[in-house]
Amino acid sequence: MRRLGGEVWFGLILLALCSAVAVLAPVLAPYDPRAFSGQPLERPSRAHPLGTNDVGQDILSELIYGARVSLTVALAAGAGTVLLGLLVGGMAGYAGGWLDQALMRLVDGMLSLPRLPLLILFATFLGSGLPQTIAVISFLFWPTTARVVRAQVQSVRQRGYVRMARQFGASHPYVFLRHILPAIGPLIAYGLVTSAGHAVAMEAGLAFLGLGDPLVKSWGLMMRFALNLPGIFLTDRWLWWLLPPALCVTLLILALALIGIGLEQNLNPRLARRWR
Amino acid sequence: MGVGRRAFVYLLTFWVILTLNFLLPRLLPGDPLAALLDPSSSDYVYDPEVRAALAAYYGLDRPLPEQYGRYLLGILTGDLGRSIRLNRPVAELVVGHLPWTLLLVGTALLFSSALALLTGTESAWRRGSWADRGLVSASILLANVPVYFAGMMLLLLFGARLRWLPLAGGRTPFARYPSALAAALDIGRHLILPALTLTLAMLGAKFLLVRNATVNVLGEDFMLVARAKGLPEGRLKWGHALRNALLPFVAHLAAHAGMAVTGAVFIETLFSYPGMGRLIFESVTARDYPVIQGAFLVVSAVVLTANFLADLINLRLDPRLREGGAVG
Amino acid sequence: MMLIVQDLRVTFPLDGRMGLRAVDGVSFELAPGTSLGIVGETGAGKTTIARALLGLHPPECVQGSIRLDGRELVGLSEEEWRAIRWRRIALVPQSVGTALDPVYRVGDQIAEPLRYHLGFSPAEAWERSLELARRVGLEPRHLRAYPHQLSGGEKQRALLAMALSCAPDILVLDEPTSGQDMLSRARLLDLLDALCREGGMGLLVISHDLAAVARLTERVAVLYAGQLVEVGPTAEVFQDPRHPYTWGLLRAYPDMSTARDLRGIRGAPPDPANPPPGCRFHPRCTQAIDRCRREKPPLREIGGRWIACHLGGLQTLLRAEGLRKTFSVDGERVEAVREATLEIREGEVVALVGKTGSGKTTLAQILVGLLPPDDGRVVLEGRELTAAKGKERRAMMSRIQLIPQDPFDAVSPRLTAAEIVREPLDIQGIGTPEEREVKVRQALQTVGLPTSPDFLARRAHELSGGQLQRVVLARALVLEPKLIVADEPFSMLDPSEQARVINLLKEIQTERGLALLLISHDLALVRKIADRILVMHRGQIVEEGPGSRIVTRPEHEHTRMLLEAAPRLG
Repeated sequence: MRRLGGEVWFGLILLALCSAVAVLAPVLAPYDPRAFSGQPLERPSRAHPLGTNDVGQDILSELIYGARVSLTVALAAGAGTVLLGLLVGGMAGYAGGWLDQALMRLVDGMLSLPRLPLLILFATFLGSGLPQTIAVISFLFWPTTARVVRAQVQSVRQRGYVRMARQFGASHPYVFLRHILPAIGPLIAYGLVTSAGHAVAMEAGLAFLGLGDPLVKSWGLMMRFALNLPGIFLTDRWLWWLLPPALCVTLLILALALIGIGLEQNLNPRLARRWR
Repeated sequence: MGVGRRAFVYLLTFWVILTLNFLLPRLLPGDPLAALLDPSSSDYVYDPEVRAALAAYYGLDRPLPEQYGRYLLGILTGDLGRSIRLNRPVAELVVGHLPWTLLLVGTALLFSSALALLTGTESAWRRGSWADRGLVSASILLANVPVYFAGMMLLLLFGARLRWLPLAGGRTPFARYPSALAAALDIGRHLILPALTLTLAMLGAKFLLVRNATVNVLGEDFMLVARAKGLPEGRLKWGHALRNALLPFVAHLAAHAGMAVTGAVFIETLFSYPGMGRLIFESVTARDYPVIQGAFLVVSAVVLTANFLADLINLRLDPRLREGGAVG
Repeated sequence: MMLIVQDLRVTFPLDGRMGLRAVDGVSFELAPGTSLGIVGETGAGKTTIARALLGLHPPECVQGSIRLDGRELVGLSEEEWRAIRWRRIALVPQSVGTALDPVYRVGDQIAEPLRYHLGFSPAEAWERSLELARRVGLEPRHLRAYPHQLSGGEKQRALLAMALSCAPDILVLDEPTSGQDMLSRARLLDLLDALCREGGMGLLVISHDLAAVARLTERVAVLYAGQLVEVGPTAEVFQDPRHPYTWGLLRAYPDMSTARDLRGIRGAPPDPANPPPGCRFHPRCTQAIDRCRREKPPLREIGGRWIACHLGGLQTLLRAEGLRKTFSVDGERVEAVREATLEIREGEVVALVGKTGSGKTTLAQILVGLLPPDDGRVVLEGRELTAAKGKERRAMMSRIQLIPQDPFDAVSPRLTAAEIVREPLDIQGIGTPEEREVKVRQALQTVGLPTSPDFLARRAHELSGGQLQRVVLARALVLEPKLIVADEPFSMLDPSEQARVINLLKEIQTERGLALLLISHDLALVRKIADRILVMHRGQIVEEGPGSRIVTRPEHEHTRMLLEAAPRLG
C-alpha cells in the first residue's frame, strides 16, 4: 500500500464519525425521531438544538438516525453492486468465449439505458420501500463494476502462475479464490467505496423526489419535507431544517469519494504521479 | 462500427426500453394498472371520462400480445395515453414541457463544456502549479456535491436573500409580453439559476475529464515534436493538445447527457421549472402512471439521440475510427 | 564553426532532487556541410543530446554551452528557442509511430512549420509540402492521408520532409533506421546520403546502428554512460578502434561481412543514477588500472584521434619485431621464421594460420620465450622479453602462457591432474598451499572439469584427449596470464568437444580480456573466433588483416589456397 494522501485520511475520519453516530444513535439522540416531542416548527432551543419539523418531531434526532439509513444504503447497495459486478464480470473474464460475449452484450445494453429515468420507473412500480430502493440501485450500477472486474480478471487469467496452477490440476474454484480474488482485491475495495457513494447520492435523491420509503426517515426525506413547506427560503427556517441533512449527505458522499480517490491512486500509479 | 450499424444498435436499445416500459407495470404483483380501474383500490380513478380513456388505452381485457401491438401502434401515432391528474393527452403534456428541459439542459451543457474545455486545457498546461492543484481539488468537491445541494444554496443566495433572480418557474406567471425580446429576457431571467446550478453540477466531472485527458496528450511524442517544430504556444495548446483531448471528451458526451438529464430532474423540482423533470416529479407524486411512462420514454429517446450524436461527432473528430485502410 | 558544444551536462530530477546525469560533459563541433555521428548503447544519453540541441529540456536541467554561430543557446527563453527551432536546427525524431499528430493530415503537419515560421499562406505551404514530399519520395496521396494510414517507412520520410521544410542549417537524425526492415533502411540511407550532399547542411546522426553511421558520417563520436570516449574519422574508428569500449562495441555488432560470432562486453551498462567513480567504463574494461577507478580520464588528442583513457586507448600486449630463427637440420640451414613482425592487443584474438611447416610453432615458442630468436625482439606489455633475465623474466613469463599442440607431451605422466594444474603456482611460489588448492579448483571449474577428489587424483593416461587438453588449459590459466598462445589446441578433439573448448575460450576471453594467439591450420574453425588473421607461409607472414576481410577478400595467393582447402559442409 503506497502512502495515502491527506485527503484520504480526511475521508476516513468523516466516515468513521458518521459510522459512530449511526451506531450510537440511541445514545446520542435526545429524542425518538418519531415521537412528537415538541410543537411544530419550533425554532432551535436548548430542548431542541435544531428545532422541530412541521409535525413537531425533533430535527436533531431525525438527523442522527438518518445516518443509519444512509450508511445502511451505502453498505448494502455498495455490496450489492460489487457482488453482482463481481459475479458477472468475474464469470465473463474467467470463462471467456461465448459466455463472455453474451454477458458483455448484456452489460453494454444496460449501460446504454439512461439511469435516472429507469430508476424512477422502477421505483414507481416496484414500490418505495428501502429494500426495493437498495435493490434497484444495485441493479442499475453493477454494469460499470462488471466491466472493470472483467478486464482485471482477464489480465490475471493470462498470467503464468494461473496457467501453471491449472497445469498442476487445480480446479476452477480454487484458481478463482486463491489467485484471482486476491489480485482484484484492491479493485473490489475501490468499487465498493465508489458504489457506496453513488448509492447514498441516489437514495437521497430519490427520497428528495418523493420516491423514497416514506416510512424511513432518511436525510433525503427530511429535505423533501422541508421543501414541501411553502416559503421555506423566505424565512431562515431552511438553516436548521434543510441545510443540516443536505450538508450531511454531501459530507458522506465526499468522504466516500475521497477514500475512493486514495484507493484509485493505489490502483493506478500513473494517475497518482500526474495529480501530485 | 459504421454509422448504419450504430444507428441500428440505438434503435434496438430504444425498442428494449419500449418493451420494458410496456411490461413492467403489467408484470408486477399488485397489478397497478388494474388498480386504476378497480373501485376497491386506493388508486381508483373516479372521473369516468378519464377512466374510460385509460381502459381504452391500456386494453387490459385484451390478450397481452394484442396489448403490445396496440401500444406500439400508439407510440408511432403519438398516442401515449391520458393523464389521470390533468385529464389531458400525455403527448400534449410532453410537448408542452420538453422544450423547457431542452433549453435548460442545452444551455448547461454548452456552458459547462466550454468552461471545462478552456480551463481544463490551461490547467493541464500548468499542471502541478498551485492554480492547477486548487482547481482539481475544487472540481472533486464540486463533482461530489449533490446537485440539489448546490441548487439550494444558489436559490437561497440569489433568490431569497438578494432577490436578484426569481425563485421559481420558467417565466413570470400570466405575463403578457409586448415583444419577443421582452419574452426572451423574462425567460432568460428565470433560466439563469437553474442553468447555473446544472452547469456547476456538471462542471466538476467535465473539468477533471478534460484536464486528465489533456495531461495524457501532453505526454505523447507528437507533442514533443510539435514543440520542437517551434510552433507558438497557442497552436500547441489549442491546435494539438485540446484537439486530441476532445476525443475522450466527446466519447464521454453520452455520459454527460445522462448526467444532465439526472440533474435536470432534481433542478426542475427544486426550482419549479416547468420541464420534463418537474412533470415526472409531479406525476410520481400523484401516481399518474401514463404520464410517468410517457415521460420516461421521451427522456430515454432524447438521451439515446444524444448518445448517437456523440458517436457521430466522434467519428468526425478521430480519423482513425473511419473505415478505409492504409494509403501507402 | 557553426555548432560548438562544450561541456554539455543534462541532469534530470530523481525523487524530487536533481539526480540523474544523463549527459555529463560532452563536447563536440559541427561545421557546415559536414556530418558527425554519435554512437552508443541504449540509455547512453544520445537522445538527450538531440533534444538538448533543440532546447526541449527544462532550462534548469541543462548546463554547459551550446553555441550556434557564436550565439549561446543554453539558457535561452522558450520564446527565443522557438525562433531557432526548425529554422536553424531541425530534428527527425526516433519514434516514428507516434511522432505525428493522429488527427491531422500528414501534409498539413509538414506544412505547419512553414505557416508558423515562415508565414506562408495555406496554399503556398501546401505547394511547398508537395515539393518536399517529392524530394523524399512521397506522393500527393501520402500527404492527404492521415498518419495511421501510412507505413513506418512512409512516416519516416514524412518526418524527414517535415524536418527539411524550413531548410535548417543543422539536421539531427535520432535513430533514423530503428525498427525498419532492411529494404526500407537501405532506401532511406540512400535518400539521406543524396540529400546531404546537395544540402550544405550540417548533419548529426545519432544511432546505435553502426552501419548507418558508417554510411552517413565523416566523423564519429562514441558515447558511453553520458560521456564521450572516442572521437575521430568514422572509417578509421570503425576499422581500427582505439578505445576499449569502441572496440567492444564493434565486436558486438552484427555485420554481414563477417562470419565471426557476436561477442558482448562483459558486465552491464551502468545505472545512470549511480555511475561508477573515475572512468565510467572501468568496471567492464579488461585493462583497467588503479588510476582508472579514481580519476576520470579527459578526452585528449592522441595521434589524430580523441580518446578518453588513462592508458591512451587499447594497450598493445605483445609486439614482435623482425624475428628470425634458423635451424640446422642435417647440415642444411632451414629458415623457420623470417622477418616476422606482429602485434597483439589487449583482449584480441589473433589467429596465425598456415600449412604445417610454415614456421608457426617455432614462432609461437619464440613469442612465449621458450626459444631465443636469432634476430629481432619480443616486447611484452612494453618490456622486452627477449632481453629480460632472472626474476623479471620469470614474472613476465607468467603473463604469457603456451598451450602446446600435444597435451600428452605437455604433462608429466606421473603427476595427478591437481598436481599438473598446480605446478606453475608451485614453481612461482605463489600463495600458501591452501590458496593454491583453491586456485587449482577455480581453474578446473573454469574449464568445465570436475573438482572431485577422484578426478583430481587421476593421471594423464586416465584422462581422455579432450579432458587432458582442458587440464592443460587450466594449468595455463592458473597464473592468470594476459595472453595465451594456443598451438593447434583442437587437433586432439572430436568436433563436439572442439566446439565446447572454443566456446569456453570465448567466454574466458570476454570475461577476463585475455588475448589469444591461436595457431591453426584450420581456417574454417578460426573464422569463428578470430578478430585478426595472420597468414604464414614458409616462415614469413604473407598477409594480415581483420578476419572479415581475409575470409571474404583474400589478397595473397597462399591465403586463397588455404581458403579453398578449408572444409565445407556441402
